[in-house]
Amino acid sequence: MKRVHCLAIAGSLLFGATSVSAKPIAFAHGATVMAEYGAGTMKEAQVFYAPKYFLSLGAGYLELESDIDHRRREITYARANYLAKRWNMESAQANVFVWGGAGQAYVSETNDHQFTGNAGAQFDYETRRVYASIKTDWYGASDFSHRIDTLQLGLAPYEHDYDTLATWVVVQGRRFTGEIHDGTEWALLLRLFKGGGWIEAGVTDDGKLQAMAMVNF
Amino acid sequence: MKRTLLISILALTAAVANADTIEMKVYGLVCGFCAQGIEKTLRKNPATEDVVVSLEHQLVAIATRPGQDIPDADLTQALTEAGYDVKAIARTQRSIADIRVELKKGAK
Repeated sequence: MKRVHCLAIAGSLLFGATSVSAKPIAFAHGATVMAEYGAGTMKEAQVFYAPKYFLSLGAGYLELESDIDHRRREITYARANYLAKRWNMESAQANVFVWGGAGQAYVSETNDHQFTGNAGAQFDYETRRVYASIKTDWYGASDFSHRIDTLQLGLAPYEHDYDTLATWVVVQGRRFTGEIHDGTEWALLLRLFKGGGWIEAGVTDDGKLQAMAMVNF
Repeated sequence: MKRTLLISILALTAAVANADTIEMKVYGLVCGFCAQGIEKTLRKNPATEDVVVSLEHQLVAIATRPGQDIPDADLTQALTEAGYDVKAIARTQRSIADIRVELKKGAK
């Protein structure tokens, strides 16, 4: 148990900051609809249904557009998310998620559609005051390979409960491989959620909008 | 007519007041989505009348319908299958309304 706490703290220190990112599985027999606008380089929408607390199935759409040379990918995929490990502590929870999927992508340089594979993993640690997550998400086809690594640290100014509004201030660091964005893209976000609704918005270090909305039901 | 209505209200109030309450200490409750999933799961049980979840106190409380109960094994299974760890189960005489009031006051 202490090892998990240490790992989370070490992760936070290692990456300077962290925050919270949405979990790919909310709860058993629940559905999740999510949409994200990521500073012009990334747009994503997902729909998942979880028949079990450790498994969700669904589909998504991801659009990547390079702010270096404007190369573009429009990826449509089906995916399975699996909760590989969960630690339930008295006032904290940590999770390891993995996922994999397949689909097709429109590739702007070749102006064609290609079979695309997807794989990823996420570790997160959460209390009612601190949330840290590290996520890697890979998409590959014959003409491209992109990995999107996202680190987040979220701090809550107060401890929310089930019937109160949760407020988080989140620092996000994101790196893309494959000439989508040069260097680390940092963003400062305000996240609010209550009941099954979640909304967040903020700006990147380039002054661009970063926003996400999610509903669980 | 008014007397009948009054008797019905009193009978209903008494039934609710005497309903058994099951209180569970649950680990892993850190966000509203956790609570949402647990509440959704427990409300599917036909013996469940009401559910209260407190993240602060790691508490999940269920008011059962008059004369009904939910076995500990079923409760543990439901919470485990929702992804959480049940650490203790107790049957108390506190009504769900009292629990809600105490939680609002910040009492344990």
